[in-house]
Amino acid sequence: MTGHSSFISSEDLRGLTGDLLAAGTEVIAPVATDICQSPSAVAASACRIDKGPAIEIDYTPLTDAAELDLSRGLPQLSLKGYFLPEHEVLCSWKQKGTTIEVQEVPTRFAPRVVIGAKPCDSAGLAVVDKVMNWDYEDELWNGRREATTIINLACPVIDDSCFCTAVGAAPDDVKGADGLLTPVDGGYVFEPASDKGRAFADAHKARLRADVPADTLGRQADDERAAARARVQANLEIDADSVRDWIATHFEDPLLAMLAMKCNGCGACTGVCPTCHCFDIIDEVEGVGSGCRRRCWDTCQAPTFTLHASGHNPRQNQHVRYRQRINHKFSIYPLKFGEVLCTGCGRCTRVCHAGQDLVEILQEIDIAARRPGVAEPAEAAS
Amino acid sequence: MSEATMTQAPEYVGVADLRRIARELLEAGDVRVVIGWENGRRGARPVFVTDPAAADRLIFDTRCVHNLVTYLNPRRDHVQELGRIGLVVKGCDVKAVAGLLREKQIDPGDVVLIGVRCGGVLEENELPAPLALTEANVAPRCYGCDIREPEHVDHIVGESQPEPPRPIMTIDDRVAQLDALPLEERWAFWTEQFSKCVRCYACRQVCPLCICERCIVEKTQPQWIEPSSHPRGNFSWNVTRALHLAGRCVDCGECERFCPVGIPLSLVNRKLQHIVRDRYDYVVSEDPEKPAPIGDYRLDDQQEFIK
Repeated sequence: MTGHSSFISSEDLRGLTGDLLAAGTEVIAPVATDICQSPSAVAASACRIDKGPAIEIDYTPLTDAAELDLSRGLPQLSLKGYFLPEHEVLCSWKQKGTTIEVQEVPTRFAPRVVIGAKPCDSAGLAVVDKVMNWDYEDELWNGRREATTIINLACPVIDDSCFCTAVGAAPDDVKGADGLLTPVDGGYVFEPASDKGRAFADAHKARLRADVPADTLGRQADDERAAARARVQANLEIDADSVRDWIATHFEDPLLAMLAMKCNGCGACTGVCPTCHCFDIIDEVEGVGSGCRRRCWDTCQAPTFTLHASGHNPRQNQHVRYRQRINHKFSIYPLKFGEVLCTGCGRCTRVCHAGQDLVEILQEIDIAARRPGVAEPAEAAS
Repeated sequence: MSEATMTQAPEYVGVADLRRIARELLEAGDVRVVIGWENGRRGARPVFVTDPAAADRLIFDTRCVHNLVTYLNPRRDHVQELGRIGLVVKGCDVKAVAGLLREKQIDPGDVVLIGVRCGGVLEENELPAPLALTEANVAPRCYGCDIREPEHVDHIVGESQPEPPRPIMTIDDRVAQLDALPLEERWAFWTEQFSKCVRCYACRQVCPLCICERCIVEKTQPQWIEPSSHPRGNFSWNVTRALHLAGRCVDCGECERFCPVGIPLSLVNRKLQHIVRDRYDYVVSEDPEKPAPIGDYRLDDQQEFIK
C-alpha cells in the first residue's frame, strides 16, 4: 500500500459523482439495467415471463449520481467504444458545383470521468495507446484519452474465464488508469496513479479522508487485492514469453489450425475485446452531392478483412484467420510493442457460442511451448 | 424454479452407439472427421473428432443445442479440407442438410449423417450437466417438433423420445403478440431491436444456409447496404438478411443464439415462415427433393400483388 492513499465513504463517492455531474462533467460508470424493463421488451427473447429480470451491465454515461452502482459485475462491452466508437465520422463533404467542401471533425473533447472501470479494460487502453501512436498519431483516440480521467475499481475476479495475471495485468491494476478504488468497510480506499489522478484527488479533497489506518482499512484493502490475485492466478498460468516465441516459430503448426475448427468466424470476440482495435474506413453518400467518411470497427475474422482488389485473399480460410488473431495478440504485438494484446478479461470466451475457449487454447500453446526438443523445420516458420 | 428443484437429466439413449458408429467410420476411413458435441469447460460444445480413439468424447444430451450443419456450409473450406465428414444431427438439423442438398451446395456423398433421436434441447447449453426439460427451460423452437424420426440419415441411434414440453411462451405466441400491436408500435419495436445491431454478422456466419461467397452487405460498387451500424444501415441489413432466407430458413435459431446484442431474430424468421406457408403452401422440409418456393415455378402461384 502506497503512502498516498485516502479513504472515501460510499456516500462521498456518490456525492463526488453528483459534484461532477453538477459541474457538467460527463461521468461514465457501469450501470446494471434490467433489459426486460425496456419499453419494447415484450417479445424480446431474454424476457419471457418466467425468467425474472435479465440484468445487463454496461458502461453508461450517468444522468444522476443515484445510478452509480459499483457492484462489480463485468460490463458486456469493454471501455474501448468510448475511445474508438463503433462508428464515427472522420470528415464530411459537400459538393457545390465543381468544388468540394470538406468539413473536419473536432479532435478536442470535453473532460469526462470514468468511475469503476475494470482494471482489464483500462489496461487495454494503455496497450492500444502504443499502436495508436506508432507511425501515425491518432488524434481522435489521443484526444479522448487526454480528456478522460479513469478511476478503476479493484476487481474480485468474475469467474473461471478470467486470466489477467497470465498476460501481465492484474485484478487491481492501474495500467491505463488514473486511480484505483478498493472496497473496504463503509467505502473505498482510493489511490491516485497518475498526475491526472492526483489532480482529481486534489479537486475532490473535501470528499476524501487522508488518514487510512494501515492496520485496519489499509490491511483490508491489501488482503482483498491479494485474495483476488490468487483467485485469478489459479485460473491460468502460462509463460507468455515462450508462448510468444513458440507462435513466432510455428506458423504452420497443425495445432494452430486445429484450434480453430469450430470457430464460426462471427467476430463477436473481436467486438467485445478491450484490445482489438482494427477498423475499416468507408465513404457513405448521404443525399445528392454530400456524404461522410466513417470509420467502423472491423474484424480480422471476416474474409473481407484481407480481401485484395485483385480477388486474392491471403487469409482465405477461417483457421488461418483465427491463427492471425492468436498470433497478433500473443506474438506479433508483443514482438513489436513489448506488450501482449490481451488483458485476460475473458469476454471472448464467454461470448463464444461455439465454445472457442482462450483459456484452454493458451494452455495448449503453453504446453506445446514447454515441450522440449520438438522443433519445427525452419522453412515452415518463414 | 430454484436450482435445487431442477432435475438433472441423463444423456439421451444411444450415446454408446453414437460413439461406436463414429469410431467405426473413422477406423474404416469412411470419414476423416466426425463432428458432434462434447463436454467442454463451459458446457456442451461442438467437437471435431479425427482420431477413432477420441470417439468417446462424443455426447448427446439436452445441452446439445448447436446446429452442426453449419460446418457443412461451403463457405467453410477449412472444414472441407479435412476430408469426408461424419456429422451428428438432430431431426431438425436434417432440414438444414436438405437445404444444402436442395440448393446443390453439397453432394450427398460428401457427408455421412448420424441421426440422433431427440426429445428436445435446452435453451441454455452452458451447464455442467444436462437438465430435464421443463416449460421454463426448453428451447422454444422445440415446440411442435415435426421430425420425431429423422429419415434422411445414414445411421440412427437412440430410442423414440416423448415430444418436448410446451414452453411458457411459444415463438408463435410472441409473433402473435407482435402482430396484434398497431403498426406504429411494431415499427417502434423493430426500430429499437435493430438499433442494437453492431453489424458483426454473427447471424450470417453461423447460419447453415447463408451460403453466398460474397454477401450483398460486402458489395461496395454499388454499395447496396450501408456498413455503419446506424439505424438506417442496420434496418437494411436485417431486413435483407431475413428476405434472403425466406422459404429457406430451417428455424434452428442459431442466428438469435449467436447474436451478441440479443435481437429476437427468430421472431422475424417465424413470421416469414408463416408468410411462405400461407402464400406458397410450403413448410420447410427434411426432404431435399421437395422444391422450395425460391427454386420452383407453379402456374397457380398467387400473384395478385402484380398490378
